[in-house]
Amino acid sequence: MFPIIRLVNRNLTISINPAFLLWQIIFPVIYIFIAGFAYSSLIQEVPFGTKGLAYPAFLASGMIGFNIMNSTLVSGIIIWNDRKYGMFEQIMSGPFTRPHYILSNICTIGIIGLVSAALIAVIGYPVFFDSIEFSLVTIPLIVFAAVTGSVLFGSIASIIATKLRSSEGFNVILNTAFLFFAFVSTAFYPAAGAPEPLKTAFYLNPLTYLVDIIRAGIFGEVSELVILEMGILAIIATILFIIATKLLTKLDF
Amino acid sequence: MSCIKVDSLSKSYGSIKAVDEITMSVKSGKVFGFLGPNGAGKSTTIKLLTTLIHPSEGSLTILGIDAIKNPLKVRHKIGVVLQQPSYEPTLSVEKSLEKYGMMWNVPKKERKSRMEKLLVDFDLTEFRKKRNEDLSIGQRRRVQVAREFMHDMDLLFLDEPTAGLDPSARRKLLDYLKDRVKTGLTIFFTTHILTEAEYLCDEIAIIDKGKILAIDTPDALKNRFGKEKTIKIHLLENQQEISSLLSGIPDCKIDFNTGTNIIIHSEKSELVLMKVLRILSDNGIKIDDLSAVPTNLEEIFLKMVEENVSNH
Repeated sequence: MFPIIRLVNRNLTISINPAFLLWQIIFPVIYIFIAGFAYSSLIQEVPFGTKGLAYPAFLASGMIGFNIMNSTLVSGIIIWNDRKYGMFEQIMSGPFTRPHYILSNICTIGIIGLVSAALIAVIGYPVFFDSIEFSLVTIPLIVFAAVTGSVLFGSIASIIATKLRSSEGFNVILNTAFLFFAFVSTAFYPAAGAPEPLKTAFYLNPLTYLVDIIRAGIFGEVSELVILEMGILAIIATILFIIATKLLTKLDF
Repeated sequence: MSCIKVDSLSKSYGSIKAVDEITMSVKSGKVFGFLGPNGAGKSTTIKLLTTLIHPSEGSLTILGIDAIKNPLKVRHKIGVVLQQPSYEPTLSVEKSLEKYGMMWNVPKKERKSRMEKLLVDFDLTEFRKKRNEDLSIGQRRRVQVAREFMHDMDLLFLDEPTAGLDPSARRKLLDYLKDRVKTGLTIFFTTHILTEAEYLCDEIAIIDKGKILAIDTPDALKNRFGKEKTIKIHLLENQQEISSLLSGIPDCKIDFNTGTNIIIHSEKSELVLMKVLRILSDNGIKIDDLSAVPTNLEEIFLKMVEENVSNH
């Protein structure tokens, strides 16, 4: 077995536990079926491309991006725990290199991101199946978004984990950053109609691009803007991945 | 055959030399003890030898491999138990062992049988289902050491492996290591517990302030540096004037403790003892007990480190 696969196996074993899986299901179920339908009395229809989407369908598709981001917190937590509990040093004194460690983390979050996306797609299917327009182009689009988004947010979590020593600092900064990403984005509500500074802030947030691409994939609304968003997402993910890798490579014992 | 060959190895952090041009060689199939006080450079040396950090200068050959050029090749052949605890908090003891074996690519069937044996050898059977985070420090340390035996290796680095263990667990571990050495394993062992080193090690290096002060077998070190003998005399009655009576004896250092205990340190102990006994007899002072303290590694170690400190 390749070293990276062995490390991915180990990462998945230590990250996935019943509580994590339960949270991964309960959280979106509450959002989609309680918040989604409760808010539909206020928001009847959300314009998306040439379509008008029911709010629960809009929210469920946004939850896919949100859950990908949320599950990639795991990447930061793995690095943080490995440093805190001495496993980073132990792994590095074994038959592994730093690139093995970094790539295994990326693969882990890629897998968790894809599984999360699939999970929400299954859970949310009843609310958006009326509007779905899958094609040969749209499914790869969703996979692209899931993987790129996982790498992007996983890299952010890794950067925070490598730069911070105290557990309080790590938790506060990670949760604040991810709270900002979640709510200053189009995951829960459309940018159209938001006050101007907030609307601009939405488009400074990579989660907005991730969610837009996923929605475009699900509802078959691929436009030039979506292609531009894909490019931006890929560039940001690459830059952050390089920074995260450099920081991990420099991490001293 | 040498298992570890180190030549003028140094590691600097800015202007501080944590390891200062050490040269040594470790024979295969032996236990090599690396002794030093806290902050002497033991852990930095282990990190250099296990390729965790890069040396600033010098050369390093481990198991015939240039460890600076091919660190990964070296790491495939060694085992490392670091000084700091390392564990996955949420995994159970048996899962920790099993996953560690998997990380080392040990086949599944082999992993299972090794795990069962190690659980017994390290007295971990009753905690096998307990999560690492729920174990005591000593139990966790035992898991950490046991885990390293999940995979095959030619050379094992142990950085203070008995830290946190009770005396019986400590002795059990040392005996286990002795047995493993009989199968051909080489062990590089750091400790500051000198009795452990004396019990386990075939050869010992003493390090302080990043420099190796001496390397030899425990007996040879005692012969080389343990010339000074210690004699303890306990008097039957308190003698206030004893210090003035014995003050003129040359070639020795005499400590008086409470007026009934005399402790003599001298390289010419027999001659000094004769003189002391004559003075005591001439003054009618009766002896309750007399004993010679054999030289142990601890005294040599303390003496060398003290001398090194005063030289600096």
